[in-house]
Amino acid sequence: MQISRRKLRALGDLGLLAAVAVGVSVLFIGAADLPAPRFEPLGSAAMPKILGVLLILLSLPIAFRAIRNLLRRDPADAKQEPPIQLPHRGVLVFGALLAYAAALDFGRVPFVLATTVFVALSGMAISGISVRSVLIYIFLGLGLSLALSYIFTNFLYVRFA
Amino acid sequence: MLDAFAALFQWQNLILLVGGTALGIVVGAIPGLTASMLIALTLPLTFRMDPVGAVTLLIGQYVGGISGGQITAILLRMPGTPASIVTTFDGYPMAQSDRAERALALGITASVVGGIISWFFLAGMSPSLAKFALQFGPWEYFTLVLMALVMLAVLAQGSLAKGLLAAALGMAFALPGIDSSIGQARLTFGNSALLSGFGLLPVLIGAFAISQILRDASSPRTTKKVKVSRRKLPIYISDIKTHGPNMLRSSVIGTWIGLLPGIGANIAALVAYSTAKQLSKEPEKFGTGHEPGVVAGESANNSSIGGALIPLITMGIPGSVTEAILIGALVIHNLQPGPLLFQNSPEIAYGIIAAYLVANFIMLVMMWGAVRQIAKVIYIPKGMLLSVILVFCVVGSYAVNSNFSDVWVMIAFGAIGLVLEATKVPLGPFVIGFVLSPIAEEQLRASLMMSDGVWSDILDRPYALFFLFLALATVAWPMIMGRLAQKNKKSRS
Repeated sequence: MQISRRKLRALGDLGLLAAVAVGVSVLFIGAADLPAPRFEPLGSAAMPKILGVLLILLSLPIAFRAIRNLLRRDPADAKQEPPIQLPHRGVLVFGALLAYAAALDFGRVPFVLATTVFVALSGMAISGISVRSVLIYIFLGLGLSLALSYIFTNFLYVRFA
Repeated sequence: MLDAFAALFQWQNLILLVGGTALGIVVGAIPGLTASMLIALTLPLTFRMDPVGAVTLLIGQYVGGISGGQITAILLRMPGTPASIVTTFDGYPMAQSDRAERALALGITASVVGGIISWFFLAGMSPSLAKFALQFGPWEYFTLVLMALVMLAVLAQGSLAKGLLAAALGMAFALPGIDSSIGQARLTFGNSALLSGFGLLPVLIGAFAISQILRDASSPRTTKKVKVSRRKLPIYISDIKTHGPNMLRSSVIGTWIGLLPGIGANIAALVAYSTAKQLSKEPEKFGTGHEPGVVAGESANNSSIGGALIPLITMGIPGSVTEAILIGALVIHNLQPGPLLFQNSPEIAYGIIAAYLVANFIMLVMMWGAVRQIAKVIYIPKGMLLSVILVFCVVGSYAVNSNFSDVWVMIAFGAIGLVLEATKVPLGPFVIGFVLSPIAEEQLRASLMMSDGVWSDILDRPYALFFLFLALATVAWPMIMGRLAQKNKKSRS
């Protein structure tokens, strides 16, 4: 079943509002644990509560519009809209970024090795795979990681894994 | 001021300014990369720099980043930055009709003239405005921050509710950490990594750089051939008479629009362009390669930077995301943006003003001399560019505290930025809400402590009431206009 862009946007809005609702709950739960004000009238819990209420109030018109758009019938030409393309390359790059951060943080993989592999993977995810591009990105990653490692270690006194 | 210029002309600072401006121009010329992204990524490198040098570098990047956008806007109809969208209207048709050099010459000149005119406002108004702002107490500051946030949220593109929701969400993300008033952890849920809250830099890099890169990675980039001959860039004495009034008017429009929070360089350029068109004797020629179109857009977008720097250094209020990042840069160097900056760190306040002027001249020389070479940066394969920037994002976030939790925060905010953009929730108010939230809370708590918890004390503060009125009017205005438009539509039908 094909879904129109308007309905997809409405579903996206409702998904966002669900996340906001979770966030608001976190704000209220966190604020409930905070002590009552002693030295000043407002106290530490006031801002989370104020923002929680504000977020709920601002979510209402968005939720109302989204539900109305979901319930409303699509116009006849909505079926002819071009399908929404999934950002495959963006997803691949994001996956590579997660793996890179995890390798550096949890895996304690050496910075030069992790960076070289990451530049090669993300570069190929964006530009496509060929023998030439593999070699170019490996050299680019190696050069970049060696230069960064040298600059950060010797001049900025920052050490990577 | 003279001391600031003297400090700026020390070789270290001059190199930073030249390098920053050059980098800004190159990044500005690349569609998809923006000045704010560049400044956010450079921020970690400035930690160990002298504050004057750091600010100089960032101002150079800002000026270069906005001006560089015109190169691809004119040559390829691909605005390097959103501020150059208007330049495509007439710049590209001029390039198509073999007048690319003339469009570039006018665009570069207009940018510099815009920068110089707004510098006069910046240098002339800032010290006295800062003195005036010293009268402000916590109520005034709280309402000023509130007004700035509301204006940003309302004027952001898209729906009013989503703009305000973005600002409130940004403010909420700034809450976790140690509450400085009582020294107790708030919303950390026992997680020690959250005790210092979400770092400004990982949040900025994540929300702007990561989400932008992931979007760019998926978008196709068509690299057309750039057509610029080896002829000289033509500019004539007679242009002063032909384009002078337009440059002056557009620069003043840009400066004043830049002063207002949330509107930004792209709207400044659009307003100046519309004004030039309305006042022109040949309005039908706009959009077909008409020189005043390029002049209006480029004067206004560059002059808006000077305008936006005024509330930043005098009151610590950011006009746009880039200014929010600049505030972050000052805070990182233990400097408090606001009226006391002129008293406590005059070398920084005047340094910003001096760097802005000199950066404009450096930009003129560089763009004039190397515009053809700069235009070629768009041939760098997207895969190379984006993967290298991603490494910089990770390294930059880690380098702040040598802590990987900052890298995870950056990635998380990158994902949040993507979700917000996908659901048409503007990122600008989100980030500025995050930056301004601690200031707003601190000032509100101080106000209530001073007034023993009596909210009605605000009624005795005329400036605070004025700011509050402006904030409410900003929210109410679009609603009233919408209702009136609906009424008119109904009465016509």
